[in-house]
Amino acid sequence: MEPRERGPGMGDAMEGTDLLQVELDRFTGPMDLLLHLIRQQDIDVFDIPIRRITDQFLTATEWIRAANLDTAGEFLEMAATLIGIKARMLLPRPEAEEDEDPRAELVRRLLEYEQIREVAHRLERAEADRARRRTKGWVEERPGPRPEDVPLETTWEEVFKAALGVELVEPVDRHHRVTPRTVSMDRKVTLILERLSDAPDGIAFRSLVTPFDDPMHGVMTLLAGLELGRRREIRLRQSAPFQELWMYLRPGERESS
Amino acid sequence: MKAEQIVEAVLFASDAPLRPDEIARADESLDEDVVEAAVAALRRYYLESERAFDLVELAGGWQILTRPEYASYLDRIDTIPRPSRLSGPALETLAIIAYRQPIGRVEVEYVRGVGSSGVIRTLQDRGLVEVTGRAETLGRPLLYGTTTHFLEHFGFDSLEDLPRPDELPVVLRDREVPILPEEADDEAGGQEELSLEDPE
Repeated sequence: MEPRERGPGMGDAMEGTDLLQVELDRFTGPMDLLLHLIRQQDIDVFDIPIRRITDQFLTATEWIRAANLDTAGEFLEMAATLIGIKARMLLPRPEAEEDEDPRAELVRRLLEYEQIREVAHRLERAEADRARRRTKGWVEERPGPRPEDVPLETTWEEVFKAALGVELVEPVDRHHRVTPRTVSMDRKVTLILERLSDAPDGIAFRSLVTPFDDPMHGVMTLLAGLELGRRREIRLRQSAPFQELWMYLRPGERESS
Repeated sequence: MKAEQIVEAVLFASDAPLRPDEIARADESLDEDVVEAAVAALRRYYLESERAFDLVELAGGWQILTRPEYASYLDRIDTIPRPSRLSGPALETLAIIAYRQPIGRVEVEYVRGVGSSGVIRTLQDRGLVEVTGRAETLGRPLLYGTTTHFLEHFGFDSLEDLPRPDELPVVLRDREVPILPEEADDEAGGQEELSLEDPE
């Protein structure tokens, strides 16, 4: 009730406004306030004293016009509806048409709203009961699509970087062009076998590529490695995807890897 | 491998309720009847051996949940997520959508008397409400309905678990001080199905 949590620094006027604010914040909207007024005074919903309720509603929402602009429109809309009903009540209406009571729609809305409030309370209780039971572990976000379901979108630069471990050099402006020597796979095959002949513990793919610092050498070395693997001259090993690729000479024949 | 153990393993590892036909996909020896029998056997076993968890019927499926009496212990452990709770306006909005689905934003706002686009948005983000179509009326506004996650969140097996409108105590209507008897009867009769009908 008392808005004391703001501390003692607040002025009296401010505090007064806060009190009203707190009061009205209890209501989720004009329907809630109207329901409250009717229940509080034990008013018969089928015979709402519209003049009294309208006056009370207007008094309760008076401050809104100045204070809270966000919800003001909604409360004022209801105030207008009430005033409209009040005005129509003053007009003589034909006895025959019973369902012409200007309050009928308001009554219908109030009954429906009250029912919804009751459902909301039940939902709240159901939610609380459910919250007392927990799953064995709760994963907030469901896993995304499996990698194999995602269409592969990649650039050559990414392939060079990720698979071949070669940093690309920024192309530089050259004043003259030198035709690069073609890199042949045969030369790479020879290179791999040479290096492997005195490396019984195998060699890392990266060590074959790094000295050249050129994507094309990386590609040809990889192809040569694959070719040698196909010929069953060497074994290729990788501890995990994207990890270093190791090459070993196959000592004898038919050694299963 | 016994059916009960397969069913138990599947339900243990799943983080959402599974329907019997979904569980049955785990092995060709399973069908819905076998799964249901296995679930019943597991539940008996959990009860007899006083397990702290049970199989619960949720959103049309089964899920392993702890028994409610252990909630206070679980609350003390930081690594166990606390279930989130909805605000008053969110519950109110959800109640309207649950009973009147498919329903448009304007109709929700008419019942509540307040703008509700923000609340609906939040409910959508939390997966409790989804767009189920468009109305044929002018402007073809979006229509909203509740999701499976809504059932999970409130512990319902289906929408049938929601309280029926005629079971709800409606204080205003039951006050019984009608001025015009016929009119009051009309109103009372009309209110029975009220929350399932269109407002207009």
